[in-house]
Amino acid sequence: MRRVLRALAGNRPRPLTALALALTLVAGGFAAWAGQDWYAAAHDDRSAYAAQRDEALAAGEQAVQNLNTLDHRDLDRGLDLWESSTTGELHEQLVSGREEFAEQVKEAKTVTTARVLSGAVTELDDRAGRARVLVALRVTVKASDGAKTEKDSRMLGELTRTKGRWRLSALGQAPMGGASAR
Amino acid sequence: MTRTRPMRASRPPLTPPGTDGSTGGEPEDDAPATEPAPPESGLSEDEPAPSGAESAPPRGEPAGPEAGPESGRPPGGRWRRAVSAGIAAVLVAGGCGFFHEAHQLRSAEAARNRALTDTEATARVAGEIDNALARVFSYTPDGTATAERSARAVLDGRAARQYRDLFARVRDDLADQRVTLSTEAVRTGVIELDGERARLLVFLDQTSRRGDGEATAAAQLTVTARLVNDRWRIVDLKAR
Repeated sequence: MRRVLRALAGNRPRPLTALALALTLVAGGFAAWAGQDWYAAAHDDRSAYAAQRDEALAAGEQAVQNLNTLDHRDLDRGLDLWESSTTGELHEQLVSGREEFAEQVKEAKTVTTARVLSGAVTELDDRAGRARVLVALRVTVKASDGAKTEKDSRMLGELTRTKGRWRLSALGQAPMGGASAR
Repeated sequence: MTRTRPMRASRPPLTPPGTDGSTGGEPEDDAPATEPAPPESGLSEDEPAPSGAESAPPRGEPAGPEAGPESGRPPGGRWRRAVSAGIAAVLVAGGCGFFHEAHQLRSAEAARNRALTDTEATARVAGEIDNALARVFSYTPDGTATAERSARAVLDGRAARQYRDLFARVRDDLADQRVTLSTEAVRTGVIELDGERARLLVFLDQTSRRGDGEATAAAQLTVTARLVNDRWRIVDLKAR
């Protein structure tokens, strides 16, 4: 009986095997296509550039906010944050002027807080690791007598990437006065 | 990060059951489990010979998982099928993995936002919006009509309503006080650009002249714009 079955099975074209083979080929084709599609997407310069842009903006907004935030009761922490948010010339300025500035703030007893209203990257050199950002900021200063003043400011920041992190290397108010500002 | 992706792709154990079934590979997978079930194959042998012989071939496919007639196959074919089903499953799973990852990468928010990545489109929207703001917010005491006409051309939706309300309130005062206003965009950044929609941050200088006096004020606006008939129109304005 078994022999008969085996013989039957042996002579029969094996649809399952053929099907499996065909499906394997199709699967191989699919895998190859999907693989190269993924490779193309993963090595798309544009998406890497876009990711850098978003990182630069996030870092820029945070750094601008940090540099406009200071509490006279917690000067050291605030100024440490200033220093860790910056690099290059701006960083050096902050370090060298730290003592003097700390004295001023201690005397004035002010608490300054800032909120980023909006920000955008205007320039990004991915390879050189440089970017420029615009940040619209609302700064609130609480004087020693408790009086609060609010001021909106528009800042221009320049960022430099050091050790894989974007830090502020220059910061200033956007100048008024039309075309000369460009 | 990218280096870990291939690993994900070779994580097929989750998918094989489904794909295996479709490739007809299940018999092999189930075979080891059901092998110690000779009663079935024994039964088919004990069954009356003629009917058994006739029903065996068709039974082969649907009743495969039971491993009844399968056990009679030469082990070589079985292995081949098992291996090819396994490979197919791995390939399908790998392909799905790649496909998924590629989709994730492309649809990531960072990649969808074309601000700066598409330099031409970025420069274009920034230029058109700068221009539109300058025209809409610049007027002479007698020429508010020009600004309003520009507004109809470049403002839409909420921005158009805001502008109409604003002008309805100030139009008479403007004529009385002889104020000239000129607006210029000094810095413009594109926050988001997605095909037909854009958000921008614009720093404006607004210079007003009245008699001999002149004053310049700074303004910050976030602008939402929409591309309509191949022209960028401002649909929302928010002072910052």
